Amino acid sequence: MKKNSQAFINQLLVCLLVTFCFSGSIGLGTVWMRHQISLTANANKLLEKRIAEVERHLVETVTIIETEQSNDVLRRRNSEMRLGMVQPLETSVIHVTEDPELHLASKANRGLFDDRALPVPPLKVVLALTP
Amino acid sequence: MSKGFASNYRIVLLATGLFACFAGLGVRLVWLHIIDREELLRSVAKARRQITVEEARRGDILDTKGNLLATSRSLIVLGVDPTMLRKEDEAKWPLLAALIGMPLAELRETLTTKLLVSAPAAPARPAPIAAPKSPEHPPIEFKFSGSSLPFSAASETPDRAGNVGDNAAKKEAAGEKRLLPKQYVKLSDNVTETLYAQIEKLGIAGIVRDRSYRRTYPHGQLGAHVIGYVNSAEQPATGIENHADFYLRGQDGWRESERDGHRRELAQFRSREVPRADGYSVVLSLDCNIQDMVEQELAQIVQKFQPEKATIIVSDPRNGFILAMGNYPTFDLNEYGKVPLEAQASMKNIAITDILEPGSTFKIVSIAAGLDQGAVVPSDRFDCNLEEVEYKNRLRALPKDDHHYDHLLNVSEIVARSSNRGAAQIGMKLGEQRLYDYARAFGFARPLGFPTGGEVAGILAKPEKWSGSDITRIPMGHTISATALQMHQAMCTIATGGVLLRPQIIREIRDAAGEPVNRYDRVEIGRAVSERTAHTMAQMLVGVASKEGTAPEAAIPNFEVAGKTGTTQMLLPEIDSKGNRTLRYSEKHHIGSFVGFFPASNPQIAITVVVHNADGRLPGGWGAKVAAPSFKKLGEQLISYRNITAAPAPIVERGVFAAQGNRP
Repeated sequence: MKKNSQAFINQLLVCLLVTFCFSGSIGLGTVWMRHQISLTANANKLLEKRIAEVERHLVETVTIIETEQSNDVLRRRNSEMRLGMVQPLETSVIHVTEDPELHLASKANRGLFDDRALPVPPLKVVLALTP
Repeated sequence: MSKGFASNYRIVLLATGLFACFAGLGVRLVWLHIIDREELLRSVAKARRQITVEEARRGDILDTKGNLLATSRSLIVLGVDPTMLRKEDEAKWPLLAALIGMPLAELRETLTTKLLVSAPAAPARPAPIAAPKSPEHPPIEFKFSGSSLPFSAASETPDRAGNVGDNAAKKEAAGEKRLLPKQYVKLSDNVTETLYAQIEKLGIAGIVRDRSYRRTYPHGQLGAHVIGYVNSAEQPATGIENHADFYLRGQDGWRESERDGHRRELAQFRSREVPRADGYSVVLSLDCNIQDMVEQELAQIVQKFQPEKATIIVSDPRNGFILAMGNYPTFDLNEYGKVPLEAQASMKNIAITDILEPGSTFKIVSIAAGLDQGAVVPSDRFDCNLEEVEYKNRLRALPKDDHHYDHLLNVSEIVARSSNRGAAQIGMKLGEQRLYDYARAFGFARPLGFPTGGEVAGILAKPEKWSGSDITRIPMGHTISATALQMHQAMCTIATGGVLLRPQIIREIRDAAGEPVNRYDRVEIGRAVSERTAHTMAQMLVGVASKEGTAPEAAIPNFEVAGKTGTTQMLLPEIDSKGNRTLRYSEKHHIGSFVGFFPASNPQIAITVVVHNADGRLPGGWGAKVAAPSFKKLGEQLISYRNITAAPAPIVERGVFAAQGNRP
């Protein structure tokens, strides 16, 4: 009986082709995946760098603000700008021991509800005869 | 059916070819992965592996309200590689010079000098310590995260000075002068991030930067002695910087990865990574504004009296936390390196490092001890005009008093009028050992554990070593030495009801995220006197700041001020006729002090003012004249600032105790 090797060869070729395609697609998939990992890693690196940069700028800005707000600098600015601001002295501070609302209300209404009677102008009555 | 292309012969040929290809591939793989593996891995590691060190940021020091007292800011060391400069960038050089504040001519010379002449080295130079070159350990390139300048432990790449490795070293050793390419020149070491952003925009090729954190103190000299500083070698030198270094310094991080041909990190090949841990922040009990008030007051004292030195301490006696501690002379923390050698003493925290005789302020100890032991009661009367008193079967000369009294003084009057002879007699009633024990209980002759370091214990000899006159001198604060802080804490002991507290300055430790890690609270060292004795003593001390007392200058209207003045002669070195160096009390140099607290019935603030040698402007240097007015001024400012209210019902009418016995 004659052996028909063609079917086997064809199957072999198909199998080879499928194997190449399969391994090729796995290879391409791996390359693509590695590329994506690389892109993500680099994007993360850039983000880290950016965050570090922002943190550094933040620290620098806070330091500058703090320096500008130090009492020495404020005093110098007060003098340079001739603002004439002074620290409050004890004599200029009134300690309120009572209820502040009542205190302020009584202070505001002091003129309004004065105990003294308001001067009343003398009442004049003019009588006139109508024609 | 025709066989077509697929004849047996061709099939065998194709199969053989494929097999040969796969076999070749297999052999190559085996060769690469097994036989040549070590060598190839070594060369890859040498070429691509790098470890990047990430510098941790040192923590901040904050005041009690969160104001920054010390912080680490990013500063850039700007350099240039002259070999990488481009001709077309020359037009940008004037802009660069203006930005970094360097004369253009100097910058031009720096940038155009591209070669470096290496001087011949000494022939017997010891070999430098290099990284091992064993095949198992290929050299690793270290790179600091803030730096654009990588360097290798053992590579042929030129270093920052332009040297090019072993070959150059050999030729130098042979005495040859060589011209080497200059690969790094420093342009500026003080470039801020904002300034660097502008420099970067210029786009000059060859500009390199080295980024690092540098310590900065936004408030300059404010609280300099307490905060301390970090020196140029990044080592904490003094103060809280040194004491709390364990919390502040943090831990550097690192990561192992690979780099490409341009020395850029290949982030996808990061194999190991240890993140950096920034330092913790330290929150102090110091208040910037109170510290500023104190330093302003010191400046006023200096202007008015021109003293040799002065100290002011402000604290909350209820918990022992220091609110302000200022000294004169002082220095700017940002310019610690510019302090001349002869003025280095200004960097000492004299409140804890320098000792002085406490003088009359020590009378609170001897009198409180007498009351506590029942040796005396407030109504006991003493003849303070006596010059000698018999003690332990011997006549003892009493110290001088500034006044002659027309009546016997009771204990309250002794306090209010600061009678030396009265205090001496109370001391004698108490005896040496008990006086010594009470002095220690009040915090004298031992360190109080103030955290900034350099604190001294003071001097008080043990009773066995006391001379015959010591029992008359120590009760009035002579023959004993103490720091200003010890005097302050002794007064605070009266304010707290007889308990000696540890003076503290650190309130809290916070992690980098701002979360509290450790909180500090009041620490009691021990009880010195009973609460009743402390209360009685506080009432007596109110008399000092009255018209009848020694320091009416310290009185604050509407507030009960309890305090004590002190004036002592300074001990100065003197050369006698035989050429020996001895210490003598000077009649021309004094230390004036005032230590007190208020409101006396509900103490909220304790202030100590010590002025050394104000005699130039005010002969006598009396504590009542040089220190008490500052106490009052600071007290008035603090009443407003801390919203301190007077006690609703005064515990005692001012001056009542001082006037007991129907005397004025």
